[in-house]
Amino acid sequence: MNETIVSMQGICKSFPGVKALDNVHFELRSGEVMALLGENGAGKSTLMKILSGVYTRDSGTVEIFGQQCGDLNTKQAQALGVAIIHQELNMCPHLTVAENMFLGREKKKGFMIDMKAMETEAAQILSDLKIDISPSEMVGNLPVSKQQMVEIAKALSINAKVLIMDEPTSALTAKEIDELFRIIKRLRADGCGIVYISHRLEELQHIVDRVTIMRDGQYITSMNFQDATMDEIITHMVGREIKEKFPRVECQKGEKIFEVKNLNAGRMVRDINFEVYAGEIVGFAGLMGAGRTETTRAIFGVDPKSSGELIVDGKTVTVNNPMDAIRAGIVLAPEDRKKDGLCTKLPIRENIALPNLDLLCNPIGVVSKKKEDAMCDKAVKDLHIKTPNVEVDAGSLSGGNQQKVVVGKWLARDSRVVIFDEPTRGIDVAAKVEIYNLMNQLKQQGIAVMFVSSEMPEVMGIADRIIVMCDGRITGEVMARETTQAEILTLATRFENKFAEDAV
Amino acid sequence: MSTLTENKKKKTAIRGLGAAMIGFAGWAVLLVVFGMIDPNILKWTNILNLLRSMAKYLLVGVGQSVILITGNIDLSIGSVVAMSAMISATMMSKGISIIVAVLVSLVCCLVVGVINGVLVGKFKLPPFIATLGTMFCARGVAYMANNNRNTDAIASGIGKEAGESFQNFFYYGKTLGVYNAFWIAFVIFLVVFFIMSKTRTGRHIYAIGSNVEAAKLSGVNVFATTTKTYLISAFCSFVVGLILCAQASMGNMEAGVSYEMYGVAAGVIGGISPLGGTGLLLGAFAGAGVWQTLENGLGIIGAPVGIQRIVIGVIVTGAVLIDVVVRQGVIGKKAKK
Repeated sequence: MNETIVSMQGICKSFPGVKALDNVHFELRSGEVMALLGENGAGKSTLMKILSGVYTRDSGTVEIFGQQCGDLNTKQAQALGVAIIHQELNMCPHLTVAENMFLGREKKKGFMIDMKAMETEAAQILSDLKIDISPSEMVGNLPVSKQQMVEIAKALSINAKVLIMDEPTSALTAKEIDELFRIIKRLRADGCGIVYISHRLEELQHIVDRVTIMRDGQYITSMNFQDATMDEIITHMVGREIKEKFPRVECQKGEKIFEVKNLNAGRMVRDINFEVYAGEIVGFAGLMGAGRTETTRAIFGVDPKSSGELIVDGKTVTVNNPMDAIRAGIVLAPEDRKKDGLCTKLPIRENIALPNLDLLCNPIGVVSKKKEDAMCDKAVKDLHIKTPNVEVDAGSLSGGNQQKVVVGKWLARDSRVVIFDEPTRGIDVAAKVEIYNLMNQLKQQGIAVMFVSSEMPEVMGIADRIIVMCDGRITGEVMARETTQAEILTLATRFENKFAEDAV
Repeated sequence: MSTLTENKKKKTAIRGLGAAMIGFAGWAVLLVVFGMIDPNILKWTNILNLLRSMAKYLLVGVGQSVILITGNIDLSIGSVVAMSAMISATMMSKGISIIVAVLVSLVCCLVVGVINGVLVGKFKLPPFIATLGTMFCARGVAYMANNNRNTDAIASGIGKEAGESFQNFFYYGKTLGVYNAFWIAFVIFLVVFFIMSKTRTGRHIYAIGSNVEAAKLSGVNVFATTTKTYLISAFCSFVVGLILCAQASMGNMEAGVSYEMYGVAAGVIGGISPLGGTGLLLGAFAGAGVWQTLENGLGIIGAPVGIQRIVIGVIVTGAVLIDVVVRQGVIGKKAKK
């Protein structure tokens, strides 16, 4: 027991433009639960994807059960006993539990599938784990928590000895978490090594033996959980270097422009209330899955709201779809450029014109070439979009320039509220600064700017006021200049205590 | 410097022109090849016939291409053609005036378009299934229009003179030396081409085909736009129905079978990707021309029907294959980087 089963040394991994991992060490022993902690973008997922063969490393060594491993693919990693349970479960909902567990390695009798043998074996594994699920149940009929158990059972059925769990409790209730912890403890007793990735620091005490902390793609420290205090862990997580300079502009705070009251839209948007004033940028900080994107989508009318009032310039506006929002002067530059922001097959010109055709068309709907060219030329010039001409496919631009097109679409019209959702993700530093400058410009023009970002230094550097969200709720509001990273992270991890609820 | 960018602008301004031009080039090559085999094919009378017969393919090509550009498909085209022909012919053969017959027929066809638009745009049914349903229903209506029989001659109801003027207007008559059927199709083609390239609706259609999420987040009304595309398609089918009715001087219940697929073929040969977002409607013109020339030329040189079908099949699939291979080539390269 307790010998080292996974040893990763000096792991480096770069993606175009980013060094995701820089000389990272990681060790896992048998019979322990290891929490892998770090902020968004610290490199936890990348590291685990290398271990499970999804990515290949640029350099460094990986040893699994004392065996040196070259470049792994997922199949080889599985054969070595590494299984990863993703946050989004990978199950075929229309197949039964047993069919899912044996997917791709079905038992056969001659030409036929041996359903009986599969179900018997599945039942054996499930009962070993004391999981009460019938192997012939359709997976789609099970609640998420049970599906997760099936994933774990599947991992064990291929003799996994290293189990990686990415945010396994995010969708579970207190009772289900108890059940999951019981199974994890059971696996630990059997000598499995478990890597546990979670933002919910408060649950670690129930389960974790050691922690490894990463930050900015670097290994920071490992320690026994017993020896560490929460404050110590948070301090290690946050000390991010602030490398960039942020061009903050001072502005007189003006009158109230935008107000959101009692906004509710599903589990990820719960009772949201906030105000934005002229001359300020309001940052929205939080961890992945905190409900910030969902909030912006609900405001913009993309997703339906169950309740809530939006007030622009003192007037209540009804927003049931993006058209309403645009008409009310609210615009959104969405998080995922390729998926939500751009028509990549269309030229820059048509992308910029798309939401502004009402301004560019004559009454019968014919687009004025002259106005359109003028609008596009202005956008390209104002935003410094680097392109030979505006007829180039938007998809062929670099990330930064694509983002500028997404933003440029909205700056061509007089909006009152501009929402930026992760505008700087995946773009280079120069382009980032241009986006910051743009936000500052809007702020100076007295337009309400909402700035959603998972990069804490950037929110602190650009926003004037920061609203922190966690689990679909606003958990705090701080002034950017007076706060610390630790304070924001503490607010961002203020989950409803599921255990306390249970006790009451 | 400024002239350089101006030049570049002009060159790239009409997107999809390349693919459409390849379609026209293919058409020209076909004509030359057929002309070498049998010079009669290039005689003016045959060219006139070719253009006239091409009208129906051009129209279904235009209708289907607009749908393809949104990334959807309309399988009901052929049935709407039959519906249009049967409803108008039935009414005319029973003595109802041309205007009324045509208007009633138009309304019925547009209703199918609206239903398609609602099913696909509002309820998000897969367009293949939604329009498969309306395909069967519209064909059923075509059968029921005259009690499961083809109609009598339209002249028997509205009189010989009116019947002839209807037939001349839609098919047999000539304007400026070219048959009216071609002119009608050509004018509709120009109007739709204008809508697609110069108007807000056209922009919305391309945007939906390229990225429906981004379009929605840019304030495009996806439902309304999708419905408009199915209305355009239904209108084109309606006109084809009138042309067939005028040609045969009666309504045929089996008119227009597989026309939706001829429409796909015309669009695809002209470089309109069935994956949506790209392609120039001009391509559908070339596609319809290629299609009709193959049919006409292979018929005149006496190729067996079986050979005709095989040649046409190879060309259609080949065109899509090239489209897909080119796309995958581009994507593959990106992935390797």
